[in-house]
Amino acid sequence: MNRSQAAVFWMRACQALALAVAVCFSMGATTAGARFNDLSHRLMCTCGCAQLLGECNHVGCTESTRERNELSAAIAAGQTNQQIFAAFSAKYGAIVLAAPPAKGFDLIAWIAPFAVFAAALLGVILLVRRWSAGQSAPAVLHNDPATLALREKIRRETGSVNNGGF
Amino acid sequence: MATFGSLALLIALALAAYNLLAGAVALRLLATGQSSRIAPERLADTARRAGIAGFVAVSAAAFALIWSVFANDFSITYILEHSNRDLPAAYKFAALWSGQEGSLLLWAWLLGTFGFILRLRHKTDVKLYAYAGTIIAAVQVFFLAILVFAAPPFALTQGAVPQDGFGLNPLLQYPEMVIHPPLLYLGYVGFSVPFAFALGALMMRYPGERWIKITRVWTMVTWLFLTLGIFLGMHWAYAVLGWGGYWGWDPVENASLMPWLTGTAFLHSVMMQEKRGMMKSWNIWLIFSTFLLTLLGTTLTRGGLVSSVHAFAESSIGNWFLVFMLLVLAVCIFTYILQHRHLESERQLESLVSRESSFLFNNLVLLTACFVILWGTLFPILSEFVQGSKVTVGAPFFNRVAVPIGLFLIFLTGVGPLLPWRASSFRSIRRNFVAPVVVLWLTVIGCLAAGIRPWNNGTFDRGDFYALVAFVLAAAVVTAVVVEFLRGAKVISRQTGGNLFVSIFALIRRNTRRYGGYIVHVGVVIVVVGLAGAAFNRSQEQELALGSKMPIGPYTLVCTGFTQDANPNYDSEYAMLDVYRDGKRAFQMNPEKRVYTASQQPQTMVAIHSVPGWDLYVVYEGANPDTGQPIIKAFLNPLVSWIWAGVALMCLGTVIALMPSQKPAALKGGQA
Amino acid sequence: MTQSLGLILGAFLGLVLFLYTFWPEKNSASQREKTRIDYLLERKEQLYDNLRDLNFEYRAGKYPEEDYQAQRSLMEDETARILAQIETLQKA
Repeated sequence: MNRSQAAVFWMRACQALALAVAVCFSMGATTAGARFNDLSHRLMCTCGCAQLLGECNHVGCTESTRERNELSAAIAAGQTNQQIFAAFSAKYGAIVLAAPPAKGFDLIAWIAPFAVFAAALLGVILLVRRWSAGQSAPAVLHNDPATLALREKIRRETGSVNNGGF
Repeated sequence: MATFGSLALLIALALAAYNLLAGAVALRLLATGQSSRIAPERLADTARRAGIAGFVAVSAAAFALIWSVFANDFSITYILEHSNRDLPAAYKFAALWSGQEGSLLLWAWLLGTFGFILRLRHKTDVKLYAYAGTIIAAVQVFFLAILVFAAPPFALTQGAVPQDGFGLNPLLQYPEMVIHPPLLYLGYVGFSVPFAFALGALMMRYPGERWIKITRVWTMVTWLFLTLGIFLGMHWAYAVLGWGGYWGWDPVENASLMPWLTGTAFLHSVMMQEKRGMMKSWNIWLIFSTFLLTLLGTTLTRGGLVSSVHAFAESSIGNWFLVFMLLVLAVCIFTYILQHRHLESERQLESLVSRESSFLFNNLVLLTACFVILWGTLFPILSEFVQGSKVTVGAPFFNRVAVPIGLFLIFLTGVGPLLPWRASSFRSIRRNFVAPVVVLWLTVIGCLAAGIRPWNNGTFDRGDFYALVAFVLAAAVVTAVVVEFLRGAKVISRQTGGNLFVSIFALIRRNTRRYGGYIVHVGVVIVVVGLAGAAFNRSQEQELALGSKMPIGPYTLVCTGFTQDANPNYDSEYAMLDVYRDGKRAFQMNPEKRVYTASQQPQTMVAIHSVPGWDLYVVYEGANPDTGQPIIKAFLNPLVSWIWAGVALMCLGTVIALMPSQKPAALKGGQA
Repeated sequence: MTQSLGLILGAFLGLVLFLYTFWPEKNSASQREKTRIDYLLERKEQLYDNLRDLNFEYRAGKYPEEDYQAQRSLMEDETARILAQIETLQKA
């Protein structure tokens, strides 16, 4: 491949990439239905059934239909996710959010799992290092005839390569 | 029968209490060598027999309850509230565990059964069994005390006895529900046995690791039951709750998952102790925690601490469980402090990349997962305590936090078996990784080509990304396991001259535990692939007039009518849908809605058409009150059947691992 | 079933179980202490298993030669010491 061919190739590649990105972003506008689906799975039904709003389907639920209508209306009115969540928690309390918000005290809920994981990981690595460091001194083998005879017996019984056993 | 049942429970409690007291006194006398009026060994034997007799008494009580259900004895409150005359026979059995009192009785009965088997086999190691039997008796005393004092299953109805009962909760009238709770309870109760042996072995400073061998079968069977119980619960939720999913991170689901995670960790790390005498303290605490976690679920939901779809009845027994848990914890800590010198490790680890350290990491991840679930389940309580207001920690939290941990676990599932025991450096074992890594990258390319891309629609899609990682890791893990089988089989075939299949069979027979374990791993991976499919779920809701169409995925649903039906147990209403694929009528589906006569509670019956690629899952949501036309919600859930297939493989693997390995001597003899 | 019948049945059950529990048993299983030899034999069995495993993994190509030789020697040595102890105890 000569120089000009290479330049053309890279030009084409860049164009293709730009086109791909443009296509992706033009598809980025999510439909109201998809947004409803997303948000209704981030809010709870408040009737006490402990189910996500988008999944509460038990007959005679006193809350979910109304909440869903409110959500649809808020989406139709063009509110942002933050506005919708704020409005819902103002009305129903923080309990309506399916996961705690990542701020204030509730941030701990999100941080703790990863902090614990990281600490435990570090701990295990340090532990293993310390253990394996303690092993550096080569163990002394016993070479007296009695031990050697026993070792020979053991090798026979546990199947060395020579006798084809297991 | 109520009198007989109550009396039987009382007798059982007395016997369990005697078993505990006499057992403890006898063991104390034997340990200190004090002389006494009665020979301690005879005392210990009466304690053992009291345990066996206690089992008979609890069985009599359970029998009395079942008898009363079938005799429609509505003078017993429990039966009035959980059964009715027209309830099908299988569900009458289920009435035993559909309410709190019955579940506790089932728990006590299962514990009695396990204790019975254990006490019959006591000749294996009389002293160790005496300790374990006494500890089991202590647990039994707790359950029987609740049954006698706090939640009596044979309490009588006040006033006139109604003609018919209120019926079984319709949610529970489903075949899986007949077996899911007992399996789960078998899983919970089963962990009492390794717990009792571990605690007993620690108390008596049992020399060696043989107690692990003795309890191995118990632990594995228990693990199998718990696994089956959890997955049957998932299948039940999927088929009955009608929201298109199978796992909602409900506190009770979480409560069953936590002991499963620690139990799985125990199954792995106990091998380190058995093989190499390492991690003794760790294992002891793993089994202690597992046992405590089996009690936690009941404590949380029955105590009303957390809200759950399972908390049918909040009651005072939550406090009983809390006190008992604290008591057990205190005993564990006390014994550990007293005896921890007995648990010093015999040897140390060779390197960061050996099989041993992979078990450490496996434990780390499993326990972190357990912590995350515990944390998420308890955080609302903490938040209420600190902030004064409750928050919800639901599915979005767990999906965000637990999924990466799960994927890391799958990664370890693949890496672990590739590392030999006592390896010294990574350089020397690099070649073990070639095939899995090649397959890993091939799968990445394959998935990207097939359109599984994390950057769909120009934005990063976390679900798709996780699915991609899950598929890729799954392929690598399966490769690693296959390579492992082939390697072993080659050695066998070199020596016996047999072909590959014969050699693989011989290989599994030679070490059922290891190769059965690998099969379980493949099962887990298949389950994970099925779970990852959820990233691509689709759903559609529509009001379907007669003859109107609803497209979803490759299918088109056409409503051909809706109708009603009735039987003594329930009235039902269902839609008849023809499903077309590629323009041809492929099959019919009848999603249904039932109203149970006795309880007057409604219940959906989902119609599911399952193929390996996906499930078509159709719910009849009821008729629109304005138009009278049925509202149908359809889901297309990819790869769900992989979950159930994976579980089947997990069971198969566990059963293989439970079979005894062929002894090397026998093999040698066969060859000679 | 009437209440009194239930009572009688319950009492009967209680009596039978009481008799079963306290029936004088001459040869109750003795709680033999686990001896040192038992323990050593267990250890020997485990070490043998580990050695067989090591051999197998080596032959399956999972183990580099030098690691294998070193490990095998170490484990054989450890097993030999156990065997020697067993022999001494059995002679005594």
